[in-house]
Amino acid sequence: MRMAEKKYEGYPKEAPGTHLRTSDIREKKVSYTWWEPEVQYAWSVGHAMSEFLKGLKQGKILGIHCKRCKRVITPPRSFCEYCYGPTDEWIELPDTGIIETYSISYLDPNANRIEEPILIGVIDIDGADEHHGFMHYFGEMSKDEIKIGMKVKAVWKPENEREGAITDIKYFKPLRGGE
Amino acid sequence: MTFGEKQTDPTAPTHWRGNMQADYLYPNGAAGDKFFQHLKNNDSFLACTCKKCNKTFCPPRLYCEDCFEEIPDNAWKEVSTTGTVRLFTIANLDAHGEKLENPKVMALIDIENTDGAILGTIDLVDLNKDYSGLKVRAVLRPLGQREGTIKDIIHWELV
Amino acid sequence: MKKDVAVLGAGMTLFRRRLKETGKELSYLAAKQAMEEAGIQKDEIDMVVMGTAPDAFDGIHMKGENLLDGAAGANKPYVRVFNGGGTGVFAPIAGWWHVASGVADVCLVVCEEKMGSCYPHPQTAFRHIWDPILDRPLNPNLVWLFAMEMNRYMTVHNIKKEDIARIAVKNKRNAVGHPCAQLADPNITVDDVLNSEVMAWPVQRLDISPPSDGAAAIVYCSKDVVGKYTDDPIYVGGVGWNIDSTMWTNRDLYFPRYVALAAKMCYKMAGIHNPTKDIDFAEPYDPFDYKEAHHTEGLLLCKKGEAPLLTKEGVTARDGDLPICPSGGLLGVGNPIAATMGQKVCELYWQLAGKAGKRQIPGDPRVGVGQAWGDIMQMATVIALRRG
Repeated sequence: MRMAEKKYEGYPKEAPGTHLRTSDIREKKVSYTWWEPEVQYAWSVGHAMSEFLKGLKQGKILGIHCKRCKRVITPPRSFCEYCYGPTDEWIELPDTGIIETYSISYLDPNANRIEEPILIGVIDIDGADEHHGFMHYFGEMSKDEIKIGMKVKAVWKPENEREGAITDIKYFKPLRGGE
Repeated sequence: MTFGEKQTDPTAPTHWRGNMQADYLYPNGAAGDKFFQHLKNNDSFLACTCKKCNKTFCPPRLYCEDCFEEIPDNAWKEVSTTGTVRLFTIANLDAHGEKLENPKVMALIDIENTDGAILGTIDLVDLNKDYSGLKVRAVLRPLGQREGTIKDIIHWELV
Repeated sequence: MKKDVAVLGAGMTLFRRRLKETGKELSYLAAKQAMEEAGIQKDEIDMVVMGTAPDAFDGIHMKGENLLDGAAGANKPYVRVFNGGGTGVFAPIAGWWHVASGVADVCLVVCEEKMGSCYPHPQTAFRHIWDPILDRPLNPNLVWLFAMEMNRYMTVHNIKKEDIARIAVKNKRNAVGHPCAQLADPNITVDDVLNSEVMAWPVQRLDISPPSDGAAAIVYCSKDVVGKYTDDPIYVGGVGWNIDSTMWTNRDLYFPRYVALAAKMCYKMAGIHNPTKDIDFAEPYDPFDYKEAHHTEGLLLCKKGEAPLLTKEGVTARDGDLPICPSGGLLGVGNPIAATMGQKVCELYWQLAGKAGKRQIPGDPRVGVGQAWGDIMQMATVIALRRG
């Protein structure tokens, strides 16, 4: 049953394996077994993330200070991964920042093609150390306007719709003069 | 000071719920496809023998794991769908830990004329019976309704 | 005292989007090929290392244990290692530990992946790599992550898209000499890449390597016993590995510092003091075309921001001064995560041994470096092989 009939000059001398095309599966030319596993999780958020999510529910972005590294970190954590010590005081940060990087996606979360692109990226939050922030959507701007370094501000869900989740922020919009 | 802080707010979030959602399509393999395509159209199993150590595999394999040699096509043969119960247990709970309406007899069945075994259920449930060593035969889906998976064996019956 | 470790043989299966064989069968086909080239039988193998990336792709929990009999692991000391995409070079590093420490004279390393089992697309399994609290509620698509890194890299260094697209063209053309190649294309041009569908700007369809099924294997032996098998051994010169924090939004992504740290560790061990002069060719990990450039800079083979220029000037072609990805890389041959060991390590061996056939680099290469990259832009694994 050796699959590789052809021999090549040089190595590897053969490429054993049988290509299975989508049509082979659709037309049931090969047998296969189908399985849909169901796995549910309840992840512990941890103390630091618990406070951060609570802050989001209240319409605040929280950071935490590491006094040894002298850095303000967001998203906050219970210990600093660089000096490996516990983090110190909580700091409330403004809900503004600058765009660190972004992408203009023509794929939706399920990898289906979409006409109107999704704008996604990383925001460096003001008040935290450089390159400290988190990922979120961008809105109220076009794909031609978006650029690295643009100043942005969070747009929040109304208070009664917030649940203590990263999605309590709907997206970040451009911070135009006077705001 | 998160490690040193007291947790005094009972409404603070403690967990985040979610799932790991993915579906799988497992091709039965080079050897597996041959076995299941045969079972789809015949009321018998296929087995194969390693030329070096003479071990007969059922379900059959591409290679012998001990000798690490490929088993050629001419070392395959047809065997009947009969066997002997090597081990069994009576199951009272399902895969999620819920009580089964009717207990099931799960057994490991040594396939006749081979060194291999297949897992299956036995259709006669007798809580006091010792099934070890009993002869069984596979009850297959009707020809034409088989899909080419292990579920083509509905269960095993005592002979 | 560490022992010198030699490579005796290597093997690879076909790489395709979906293969009929099970993971065990693929492992067998690659392992058997490597053992035949090395001239060894199963009972001469002391220990086995299996490298395979997330269980979620094959869809078999504890798949290291599932695959072992196809990797000649039955009744042997066996271990499975995994760090995402870095596994393709990490598994041979783990194999090296086994022999360099003296506990094994002969060690087989097998890498396998079946991404085709995850239906409809391995993207579904990749979704679970994101942090469940901060990232997953935003429903991110994995391509977005690399698009953001690519954007940062291009913006900081002011690199044009066509200079990056040229890398995809080079690799897909290089792959024409590879029997296992999934996407070899002798006629592809920069315009083809630039006109391909935009997935998540700046990433376009032809910038990305495909998901694949496949397996690869390599056989190591200690210098103590190498004389039994060959008079012209290829040795492992050095190994290095390093990982950066998962908090990727807290790092500037324009330079992979973890690759530089892993490379420094490897070069120190290998006695490579001047990478641009001492290294003859390299196989950096190229799941995207910009990644080859990013990693070439991480491997300290050129200044930051200059890697795309090397390809523009022909330096990285097979007949250039510093051939990069002569195998065709992941862009040309395919990307079955861990089994990319076939392009990143097996290729180094075949090139140094003069056995690469149509892909052979001219001249007399003596030192080659392979690198892999994994997890959320965190893991770097580097290996250097040398002749004699």
